[in-house]
Amino acid sequence: MDGRNCWRRGVLLLLTAVMLTACHEKNTHHVLNIGLAEEPRTLNVWLASDANSRKVLSLIYQPLYVYDPDTLDLVPWLAESMPVYDAQTLSYSVTLREARWSDDTPFTSRDVAFTGSLIQSFKVPRYASDWDFIKRIETPDSRTVRFYLKQPMAAFLTGTLSTPIVQEKEWADFAEKAQTTEKPLTALVNHRMQHPVGTGPFTLEQWRRGAFLHLKRNPHFFGIGKTIGGRTLGPFVDDLVYTVFGTSDVAILALIKGDIDMLWWPIQPGYMADLSRRKEIRLFTNEKSALYFMGFNLRRPPFNDMALRRAVAYMIDKKFIVSRILQGQGTKMFSVVPEENRFWCCTDLPRYGDGMSRENRLKAAYQVLVDAGYSWAVPPVDAAGNLQAAREIRLPGGQPMKRFTILTPPADYDPHRATSGLMIQEWLRELGMPAYARPMAFSSMLEQIKGHHDFDAFILGYGHLGLDPDYVRNLFHSANDKSRGWNMSGYRNSAFDEMADRSISEMDPVKRQALVMEMQKLIARDLPYIPLYKPSVVEAVRRDRFEGWVEMLEGIGNIWSMCQVKPVSSDGA
Amino acid sequence: MGLKRFVLRRLVEIAVIFFVIMTVLFVLFRLAPGDPVSRMVDPSMTPEDARLLMESMGLDQPLWTQYLYYLKNVATGNMGVSFHYGEPVIDILMNRLPNTVLLFTTSILLSALLGVFLGKIAAWKRGQRTDTLLTIGALFCHTLFLPWLALIMIWFFAYRVGWFPITGMVSPDVWIDPGAGWLAKALDVLHHMALPLMTLILIHFGSYLLVMRSSMLDTLKDDYIITARAKGLEEKTIRDHHAAPNAALPVVTSVGLSLAFSINGGALTETVFTWPGIGRELVFSVSHSDYPLAQAAFLIIAIVVLVANLVVDVLYAYLDPRIRY
Repeated sequence: MDGRNCWRRGVLLLLTAVMLTACHEKNTHHVLNIGLAEEPRTLNVWLASDANSRKVLSLIYQPLYVYDPDTLDLVPWLAESMPVYDAQTLSYSVTLREARWSDDTPFTSRDVAFTGSLIQSFKVPRYASDWDFIKRIETPDSRTVRFYLKQPMAAFLTGTLSTPIVQEKEWADFAEKAQTTEKPLTALVNHRMQHPVGTGPFTLEQWRRGAFLHLKRNPHFFGIGKTIGGRTLGPFVDDLVYTVFGTSDVAILALIKGDIDMLWWPIQPGYMADLSRRKEIRLFTNEKSALYFMGFNLRRPPFNDMALRRAVAYMIDKKFIVSRILQGQGTKMFSVVPEENRFWCCTDLPRYGDGMSRENRLKAAYQVLVDAGYSWAVPPVDAAGNLQAAREIRLPGGQPMKRFTILTPPADYDPHRATSGLMIQEWLRELGMPAYARPMAFSSMLEQIKGHHDFDAFILGYGHLGLDPDYVRNLFHSANDKSRGWNMSGYRNSAFDEMADRSISEMDPVKRQALVMEMQKLIARDLPYIPLYKPSVVEAVRRDRFEGWVEMLEGIGNIWSMCQVKPVSSDGA
Repeated sequence: MGLKRFVLRRLVEIAVIFFVIMTVLFVLFRLAPGDPVSRMVDPSMTPEDARLLMESMGLDQPLWTQYLYYLKNVATGNMGVSFHYGEPVIDILMNRLPNTVLLFTTSILLSALLGVFLGKIAAWKRGQRTDTLLTIGALFCHTLFLPWLALIMIWFFAYRVGWFPITGMVSPDVWIDPGAGWLAKALDVLHHMALPLMTLILIHFGSYLLVMRSSMLDTLKDDYIITARAKGLEEKTIRDHHAAPNAALPVVTSVGLSLAFSINGGALTETVFTWPGIGRELVFSVSHSDYPLAQAAFLIIAIVVLVANLVVDVLYAYLDPRIRY
């Protein structure tokens, strides 16, 4: 056989092999293929802080209570019923459901107590603050846990009881060893989890780093066939396979082609028109628990003046931002608590400039500034009440307002915030303000705002706020007005601080709600932040593969969906 | 100066350069604005949580102490633990490195083979239509924007025609199938490799073609080619056995260095094709301020490039008897 023939045969063999691989018979199991933007960071629940790790771990490790998708009320999950509060002993009793770990050992109250003591002894970031007010945990029997609190703490219900519970058997030995190391916390969070044992609907089958992560249905899941929160639970799929895609273009091609069934990843507005035309694709639009806002530096002029901040609030056309910049995929915000967080959001707040025409907004802002003593070389409104090009605004003391900057993330990081900054710059210039929007690398921007407090104004956002409103206290309490503290604006209001301190220890939800509402009113009055908008979450699934997705705040990627989705064919659809 | 002394001198130089690179990397990452924790926190976390996170990463220590730890770690071959993954950096890199080497080494070798083959033809047919077409084609492919070409390749070959998988390195359905043997898995990897490989070859073969063409044109003017012709040898023999092997010397050098650089992968290629290589990890670690991972990745690249330079210098002495140190 000469060399040429050998080559030909080799190439032919390779092509045949490749074709055979392409025709590889699909698994007959019901496999739900999910596309992710990034690989999960870790399977160590104490290290996982990224959304992608949580998308996996939330299906393995379970908390005692979860949020109902419709009402956002707490629903007993690993717990059998709602906790019983004893004001006299300042304790909560929780009765546990009969459940088993994925290794078929029973889930008991000792596991809950162990989880608590592990968090407390290692001071695990993210969880430590939800457990440091627990004085002791008793386990009178295998299905009862009693938490004794050091002082009343509202975060107990929303924080402590929502903590994922880990198995004592799996962690005890390692935790003991880690405690003997020089840095116990580092040893704990850097512990590599190969096969996490959980109580959730799925267990880890294999993780090929950089390629895919495979979860299998947990036959010991306590919810199988049970009705919890008014929903009969599965899971009804055998396997979940998470695949990572480098770019959204490619991920969407994979969805259209049918390589994946769900894109657990918000779809950008640019893709929506094409996807919505395809009958095999279904789009879900849901609200996000998010806050995008304009913040001011209240530590220095000119934004230490509330009147000026209020005038800025009048000038911002949130409708324009939502309809044009977000292309309709979002909602205007007026409170720092998203409106969908119904129990905690205060709707009775001033809506500066909302529904006004450009002319009326300008006139309202002008009036606010005139009343506060501002003047102009050429005012934006003439004596006859007509608009004109404003020039050189002067502070109440008569000195011209110095040029100020509005820091925004760059357009390649977040085009919405960058463009909003430019639009706000233009709107403020209509008032004669020397405003300059300045996109800046995100890390530098954070350093300048949080680290050095060297800024005039900025546009930032939080994409995933918890449902507990305690972040309102964190964001504006004067104790957090320090380098790298959450109170970036430097807002100081003793009335707010007093209410915030009371709110954290108020155990009566209705009384706490009243306090949180008042706190929001103070923020809306003083405007250290002007809430701007929150983008919607648009997710896409294949209509012809699975159904039964459960929509809730933050989208369809939640524990309820994963316990309820069914293959379309099984219903004969 | 003898070869031995030359090598010894270069090894000392490499050690000094490596130390400088190591220090510069440490300083550069710390000078960059932001810190690894700022991306991990949200307002529902208390300042105490953020402090604990800093502590768990060792970032609460003074810079000087961190630097000493870093030097000690590198000296003992321990590259530290990734802030992001919480795993030893060396494990992460060793997991990604074979994927990068597989794709990029194959692409460099195939591109070089194709480039040498076509460059030889172009030079041989200098001034003719074949030469013009090959030269223009090489320039055109070489100047294509890689992410654009990659997306077009995916759109056409994977999405429209369906010959290849859209992205990734393996098909989960093959790898989770307990019945799939190693051959099926190996073929699956080859199947996934085809599209990124074709893209990389299209981009890179042009440069080798141009180098080969230019070198071959010089070689064809040499006396031994005239002698070969005078001896009455066949044109094909002169081209393939006399001119081409000598003209390929610059290509060999270029391939050698490219192979060394191949371990840093290609962030763009690996991102668009979701190829789990070191290039993507490098970009990710820098953007997420994962200092240990980024430092280790750059250090490994630095070592390989420094050593490859030395090897190429030594190889030159063997390949070209005129070169002596």
